[in-house]
Amino acid sequence: MTVKLDRLILGANPFEGVSYISRSQSVHYLEYFAKEDNVAAVLEAAYNAGVRAVTCSNTANVMAAFQKFPRTKDLAIYPVIPNAYEYAMEASEKGVLGAVLSKAKGFSMYQKVKLGLRAIAKIKSVLTKDVMDLLLELLNFEMTSFEKLNLGGVILHGQITDLALSSHNPDILSIFQDVIRESYDLEPILATHNFGLLLPQLIEWKIKIPLMAPLNSKGFMMKPSKEECEKLVQEAGYQIIAKKVLAGGRLAPEEAFSYLLDKKVDSVVVGVGSVSEAYHTFAVAKNILKI
Amino acid sequence: MQEQKKIRVAVIGFGKLGILHTAVVNMIPQAELAAIADINKQLSTYVQQSGLRAPFFSDTDQMLAEVKPDAAVICTPAFATLSVAEPCLARDMDLFLEKPLADTFDAAKKLTRLVSGRKIVHGTGYLFAHMSLYKKAKSLLAEGLLGRLYRVRSSMYTSEVFGKKKGWYYDAEKSGGGVVINIASHLLYLLYWYFGPAKSVFAQTRRIHSDVEDGATALLEFPDGLQTVMDVSWSVPGYRLPYTEIHIEGENGTMELTNDYIKLYLYKAHRGYPREWTTIHRIDLPSSSRFEIGAEGLYEEDQDFITCCLERKNPAGTWNDGFEVQRMIEAIYRSAAQKKAISIGEIQ
Repeated sequence: MTVKLDRLILGANPFEGVSYISRSQSVHYLEYFAKEDNVAAVLEAAYNAGVRAVTCSNTANVMAAFQKFPRTKDLAIYPVIPNAYEYAMEASEKGVLGAVLSKAKGFSMYQKVKLGLRAIAKIKSVLTKDVMDLLLELLNFEMTSFEKLNLGGVILHGQITDLALSSHNPDILSIFQDVIRESYDLEPILATHNFGLLLPQLIEWKIKIPLMAPLNSKGFMMKPSKEECEKLVQEAGYQIIAKKVLAGGRLAPEEAFSYLLDKKVDSVVVGVGSVSEAYHTFAVAKNILKI
Repeated sequence: MQEQKKIRVAVIGFGKLGILHTAVVNMIPQAELAAIADINKQLSTYVQQSGLRAPFFSDTDQMLAEVKPDAAVICTPAFATLSVAEPCLARDMDLFLEKPLADTFDAAKKLTRLVSGRKIVHGTGYLFAHMSLYKKAKSLLAEGLLGRLYRVRSSMYTSEVFGKKKGWYYDAEKSGGGVVINIASHLLYLLYWYFGPAKSVFAQTRRIHSDVEDGATALLEFPDGLQTVMDVSWSVPGYRLPYTEIHIEGENGTMELTNDYIKLYLYKAHRGYPREWTTIHRIDLPSSSRFEIGAEGLYEEDQDFITCCLERKNPAGTWNDGFEVQRMIEAIYRSAAQKKAISIGEIQ
């Protein structure tokens, strides 16, 4: 089955202060995009440049920008869940399960009612009963942030996908796939930083869903190697959303998108750090990729 | 064809780093995840349901007796490393110990003595030794690109503590201290790796939010009179991840090393690098990692340990190196407490 994916997707790394180039750029992003108006301005520029999809975590600035931008209803949002950075930060103080339970305890009364008493009972008894149930409830909890938005698909965070890959067990990925399809009627997507190792494993497990993975001419974050990833993109027949196409900012859009021209890629996700960068980057993408 | 020998590895301590090391060990072809141990019995459910095929034990001694692993990756809190390592070493197991070696200098000394003169492979978790950019800087310094070194300024900051926090990490009795031992030990490792064992330390530490130090400033002297300033804090806004900077001044020019790049300024062309500016970006350097999770270098670190177990040689970052870092940490804490410079030779 082929899933309909938006060809161009606006990424959210700059909105979260992520830069692979320098600390000064990271600080600029953190300061500039702390104001939701600046996030909304980039959303508008991307929209004007023809982009109709955004992928993001449930960070406060991005969620507020969605409220402000008047054309949000015309955008397909691809949530990345769970917000792994938030859990990792809490884990130093509370431990990994402590961070998860802390999140669960933070459910509002509205959320608890929405999730149902069944969920609360499970959260309380999680450590002695069923961890998978708790993970499901957390997944549902994370989805509540996006419930008023028009969703294009749901992306499992790369850290979780890659942890599941390393356990050599398909259960977590199968459950994610089933829940997103059955409970939300949406298409599940797996993000990964280990594309060349994940894809052969998915073939063995007979899991065929779109993958979001780094793809760029520098081989940046293409594991286990650029050559192995390129071969799989061309031959495996999986739908691919290419990310890190600008190699963390080391490639100009012209060079980056030209590299993708002969690759079997369904969609491209790119983060941009300003309004002018949005107009330029997406104009180049549309021109070269003939979108 | 004879099957290649695999090192059977137990992961002891299943917190954040234990989970990451488990994932990495499970992806190394020459390793077999033999067991997972943690005193928290409740984690058994998680281990079983996450699909990991290795058995879970809440009693390390029982695990050692039943599983008889070849090696262990120890990711327990710092106060437990000695008591966990001792029974492993009694079984002649090879050990990788997450940093720091221990919560106290005395415990680190005991650990180092336990492996002294024995044919045990011992590695420690100073991750920077396995990251491509820091390795590149090491090779540039080792080949003498900057000539004689005069002065070093260094810092490590992260945005983590802005109020009182709970947990062993923020309890000096259990972790051994605050930002210096928990975070800046990585920077101290780099300084030791690049410049050798420190000669003396004068330091001040500062508690702001915690019962442990939230910040520290130290003046360290390295061999050949190399002056080094180090400033560290986990209470600075705007650092979503720990960020390290080292500025090195030498007779041929300067080097600025950060998480993201090396920036060289040379007074004249030297060893293939042009006069004035050259920037080497992390992204442009080849990666030797076949799998990545958590951070760059983690796979290389565990792969290096496993390879060394097979080939019976020392990994990058042994317990002896970890002990030298622990000596610097101890000197910083003693100097701050006694309000005077401490000769590293005093720390025995």
